Amino acid sequence: MLANYFPILLFIVVGLGVGAVAVSVGKVLAPHKPYDDKLAPYECGFEAFEDSRMKFDVRYYLVAILFIIFDLEIAFLFPWAIVLDEIGAFGFWAMMGFLAVLVVGFIYEWKKGALEWE
Amino acid sequence: MTFLQFAFYFFASVLVFAAAMVVTIRNPVKSALFLVLAFFSAACVWITLQAEFLAIVLVLVYVGAVMVLFLFVVMMLDINIAELRAGFTRYLPVGGVVAVLLVVEIVFVLARTFSPQQFANPPSHAADYSNTRELGELLYTTYVYPFEIAAFILLVAIIAAIALTMRARAPRKRIDPVRQVQTRREDRLRIVKMKSASRTAHRDQQDDAS
Repeated sequence: MLANYFPILLFIVVGLGVGAVAVSVGKVLAPHKPYDDKLAPYECGFEAFEDSRMKFDVRYYLVAILFIIFDLEIAFLFPWAIVLDEIGAFGFWAMMGFLAVLVVGFIYEWKKGALEWE
Repeated sequence: MTFLQFAFYFFASVLVFAAAMVVTIRNPVKSALFLVLAFFSAACVWITLQAEFLAIVLVLVYVGAVMVLFLFVVMMLDINIAELRAGFTRYLPVGGVVAVLLVVEIVFVLARTFSPQQFANPPSHAADYSNTRELGELLYTTYVYPFEIAAFILLVAIIAAIALTMRARAPRKRIDPVRQVQTRREDRLRIVKMKSASRTAHRDQQDDAS
């Protein structure tokens, strides 16, 4: 079974190799003459206005959490879809119950306005 | 050492290296990226252990979703490195004691019960063997009760996230074209029939009032 994953391992190795070679060749061969003005950070030709670490709105966090929850739900759907013809009606309705509970949560967040962005 | 063992130890050492970088590197964003590397290495280790579904889900859920969340948290907290390092020596004794205790406990448990010789190698499966299929056959039949509990845990997570981060916002003034089009004259305009008062009577009333 693990032999199936050998091509993926090869892809990882080749991908890492191409990336490393490209970066290191650029590093070695490219002309490298830094001076202060070249290294200074700038923003559209101006001096940088503010620090790049700025606070995000907490609402991004809410969107990310809701995304994780439904991502997990999808993860539960994959094995179910594969064995659907073997687990019969019981397995089918087990997943329907699972989805029904999450649909309750989905309706809640919709009605609560958590998906709205003003 | 077979190739499989080599791959296992390679990914395991990358995992340990990445985990060490997560806690030692100063820039929190770089630390989050090393956590991505740690997740990927853990997924590779799990694949060498033939848990392919778990490995893919680890990449999908943790790298795809949880890391985004971590980055948001890093951005949201506005971490000041100097402030964080200020309490280092103050908390060192407490943190050190806790760390030593944890290590002692882990060594105590692992040294007695855990060694590679005690666990047989997982049987190697045929090329068409599907880990996901076996998981599905058990999860939706034998373990259906924990599966439904997982749904309720996710529901609780939805409600908790909304309760913690939703703010009451001002009701929005929004145009609803359907209602605009369907509005009839009677909804907006009220015609009140009343008797017209004569001019002299009106003046009399004013006099009475003053």
